Amino acid sequence: MIFVVDDDEVMAECVALATKKETKIFSDAYAAMAEIADGNLPEMIFLDILLTGPDGFTFLNELVSYTDTAKIPVVIISSLDLGGRDFSIYGVVGVLSKDTMKPKDVRRYVEQYAK
Amino acid sequence: MEKEVDGILVAAHELKAPLAVLRQLALSFDDISGQNEQIRSRMVSVSERAIKQVNDLVKIRRLEDGLFAMEPVAVREVCDAVTRELEYLFHYNKRDLYIRYSNRSRLVTANRDLLYSVVYNFLLNAMHYSGDETRAELMVKDFKDKVKIVVRDYGPALPMDVWREIKRGWVEKPTSIAMRPGSSGLGLYIASRFSRYMNANVGAVRHRDGTSFYVDLPISKQASLF
Repeated sequence: MIFVVDDDEVMAECVALATKKETKIFSDAYAAMAEIADGNLPEMIFLDILLTGPDGFTFLNELVSYTDTAKIPVVIISSLDLGGRDFSIYGVVGVLSKDTMKPKDVRRYVEQYAK
Repeated sequence: MEKEVDGILVAAHELKAPLAVLRQLALSFDDISGQNEQIRSRMVSVSERAIKQVNDLVKIRRLEDGLFAMEPVAVREVCDAVTRELEYLFHYNKRDLYIRYSNRSRLVTANRDLLYSVVYNFLLNAMHYSGDETRAELMVKDFKDKVKIVVRDYGPALPMDVWREIKRGWVEKPTSIAMRPGSSGLGLYIASRFSRYMNANVGAVRHRDGTSFYVDLPISKQASLF
């Protein structure tokens, strides 16, 4: 199972489609964290940064606070210019720009991290 | 000047979002067979919202020219038209919209186009900030010698500084993106500017579980035919 966390539901659906895998979409970080707290750990997460309520970085902080969730690979999907910054300490394995990403970019990460 | 540049940046960011979605939808055609009609509908809906936002920004520029005539406007008819337009969007985003009209005075003094945009932006904001299992509410009621349109959401509390600006009756510029993730507050800015032009009071009430935005419009003295 792959989680997509994005409050733009159309964008989230596009990313979910591109994975070609079973996905669950969350429009806010609370809902995604609640699902994880229930013991449903995803194989990987596609995460938007500007979310309604707690933002993506707050979510990432939560993830790295626990040993089991710290290992979940996260790909940031954002329209922010993150300028090649390194977020690997948060378990981030890649950053995709909403302005330029293509379905095959999403699939590349899925093939690598959610076999 | 700095505030104007901030405003332009925020508006640019907000207008970029639908373009990015349109692009992704177009790229999704390869991944979905047999759902082209659904994708087409979404593309139309996303583009129409973006066009509306651009049109509203253009109107803000034209406010200074005083080209928007104030006239008797049937407030329920405007609200009905807006809810009809946004019905698909609410349904698509799995949000409920509760509507209650209790106003006896049917006509207000306003500009129909501007009032339409105010209600549209309030409702769009409420839809965005309502959770999956909550609803947005549109209420129209009498309030002293005015008609009050209230849009209530059950989303996260409005940031204090945005609330203060609205309480003052004037949103000076779109809110900084970092403060209001997911939406720059451009819609509220537009609603505030249009309300001010119409001499209507705009405001917000913070609730424990959400926010109500309202606009108070003067009742038209013209006899109502509705």
